[in-house]
Amino acid sequence: MNRREWLKCMSALALSAAGAPLLAVFDAHAAAQKPAIGPRFFSPPQADVVAAVVDIIIPRTDTPGALDAGVPRFIAQMFRDVYSKAEQARYLGALAAFERAGGTPFLQLDAAQRKALVTRLHGEALASGRHIDHNSAAAFVLMSKKLAMLGYFMSEPGCTQVLQYVAVPGGYQADVPLSKAGNGRAWAVETVLRL
Amino acid sequence: MNNHIYDAIVIGTGISGGWAAKELTEKGLKTLVLDRGRMVEHGDYPTAMKAPWELPYADEPTQEDIRRHPVHTRPSFYGIKQSTKHWFVDDLDNPYEETRPFDWFRGYQVGGRSLMWGRQSYRFSPMDFEANGKDGVGVDWPIRYDDLAPWYDYVEEFIGVSGDTDHLAQLPDGQYLPPMELNAVEKDFREKLASKLGRRLIIGRTANLSAPLKHDKSPQRAPCQYRNLCMRGCPYGAYFSSNSSTLPSAQRTGNMTMVANAIVHELIYDNAKGKATGVRVLNAETGQQTDYFARIIFVCASTFGTAHLLLNSTSSRFPNGFGNDSGEVGHNIMDHVFGSGAGALVDGHEDRYYTGRRPNGFYIPRYRNIGSDKRDYLRGFGYQGGASRQDWTRLVDQPLLGDELKRAAEAPGPWRIGMTGFGEMLPSHSNHVTLDRNRKDKYGLPLLNFDAAHGENEVRMEKDIMNDAAEMLSAAGYRNVTPYKTKANVGAGIHEMGTARMGRDPKTSVLNGWNQMHACKNVFVTDGSCMASSACQNPSLTYMALTARAANHAVEELKRGNV
Repeated sequence: MNRREWLKCMSALALSAAGAPLLAVFDAHAAAQKPAIGPRFFSPPQADVVAAVVDIIIPRTDTPGALDAGVPRFIAQMFRDVYSKAEQARYLGALAAFERAGGTPFLQLDAAQRKALVTRLHGEALASGRHIDHNSAAAFVLMSKKLAMLGYFMSEPGCTQVLQYVAVPGGYQADVPLSKAGNGRAWAVETVLRL
Repeated sequence: MNNHIYDAIVIGTGISGGWAAKELTEKGLKTLVLDRGRMVEHGDYPTAMKAPWELPYADEPTQEDIRRHPVHTRPSFYGIKQSTKHWFVDDLDNPYEETRPFDWFRGYQVGGRSLMWGRQSYRFSPMDFEANGKDGVGVDWPIRYDDLAPWYDYVEEFIGVSGDTDHLAQLPDGQYLPPMELNAVEKDFREKLASKLGRRLIIGRTANLSAPLKHDKSPQRAPCQYRNLCMRGCPYGAYFSSNSSTLPSAQRTGNMTMVANAIVHELIYDNAKGKATGVRVLNAETGQQTDYFARIIFVCASTFGTAHLLLNSTSSRFPNGFGNDSGEVGHNIMDHVFGSGAGALVDGHEDRYYTGRRPNGFYIPRYRNIGSDKRDYLRGFGYQGGASRQDWTRLVDQPLLGDELKRAAEAPGPWRIGMTGFGEMLPSHSNHVTLDRNRKDKYGLPLLNFDAAHGENEVRMEKDIMNDAAEMLSAAGYRNVTPYKTKANVGAGIHEMGTARMGRDPKTSVLNGWNQMHACKNVFVTDGSCMASSACQNPSLTYMALTARAANHAVEELKRGNV
């Protein structure tokens, strides 16, 4: 990231609710009470839930999906090494709330029920906006959406099959018809997405 | 000892040191070039060719990276990414003190911050060199624009600066490679600014090669490939850095001896000769001490590196620091007022896009306190900004999941535009660094303590920076106009200046009009510490021009036997 891109992101964050950190409340004490988190970060059942949810958010269609792009592994790595203890605790807390949200454990729901639940909670999260309860099932869905999108759109399939990416453009055209800008899709670019 | 004697010593290899090395070696001086950091040859850029998916953690810093970089991960900085973190110092190993908070963002390696700089290259104007004298602020510059203009020409021609000829008194034109282009929305904004507010918007002037260089002295440098990954180091040599440009030229003369990991911690003064005779060096890896000697010394250690070195070099002649008869060494710290601006969304233009990644943006030159404009503060500011189409992050708070989400991400989003101000900071004696000799770093060297803050002038200006940005975007008819202010301390602009200012009077300044120490004529200081005022333009180009001019003068004076 260079200064120009960073400044662009800073002014973009000011514009967008998407930039509002979902995990703004830092509760160090609560984080310190959490049990130690192993190197894999998620327990196998937790990992299964995360994988199932990101598969709903970015499924395989005519292009690869989040699972094809290795997004569950990316998410585990991000929590293990990148996000703070408070962010870890927040996500796991929200995951636990999500597990209770459908009455039945998520993985025991059928595909249509899973999709309906994720869609409903996603809608709730958007309706809550900045007032979202960070420990809620809805917060889990929205955080998982951000993580899935970050992992996917930084992956090779995301950059090259949904977006377009040219490693060495070799030239610059400032103002061309959209249809003449490569294949007319959005360019993959450096970006910032706070959890 | 014979192998430790040179004609010249250059301390530091950043923007200024690289130029000193090139000029002095090309003029035939056997020159020792020292840098405190590790060697980085042109091409040693480990992440330069990595695709997004080849960088771990989506390029974000890990908790361990954050732990090692508590300063460099402050909200005002952006460099601790997987792709660029290796260019920035480890804060735990390189501590400093903050009586008042200061953002000190540093890169210790051969090439210094010339590897990561923003490349925006603007001349100071006649008005800028006259301002201190007219306003009675700080000390008058001992030089004027005409003294420096030929050296700006010289430097621009060598490094290659892409820009337009804009005929602005406050921003003199230079020797430019072809300008890069504005995109559809930037052109729209330019027209509306001109018609509604009478203000100018120009394409940024940047040290990227928009065309081949007009000389054949840098065969390692090729035109820009429009990847916009400059900060990782450019294997094409398409932007100016010491590594890609000045140091290879110095190397080719056969007159340069480069020593990396060489921390210069003291200038050696000879009372009998009334001159500096050399430098004391600590090897950063082995701790070995070595003295090197030369007839002239160029101090290009960066503004605060230089302040540290001068304050640490005490002797019976200079009990308060080398060349510090005036008491001004370490004082008059300047940066640019930084971190504020505004953004907006722009409707329409949805059938327009761009190809390639331009390492440049637009520039709105200073318009405040020029001509009939009069504000309740002195000086002014410029803006740097750009327009682009929003990326997929816009879809996070859209009611889209699954196939719909992927389809929506395929299309570029609406246009948005943003800009950030860079404002002039006045010199003030009270903004200063001192050495704390009671606390040492791991090399046993005393810590720098920063004590600087923006004054009333800067506070007033910053309000205008935010308000004007929002007003201009509103006047252009854009929507969701949002002013913003990033939490930033002095230093966050990374345009560090002052601490050894130029001036005519040895009683009130450290350097004369040739960047030569009033009190020790064979020492030249040509990095940001020499600056008497900050203007609002990015200062690196001025350091380069001052360095080339000082090197030319130093060699002439050597020949005349005056130093």
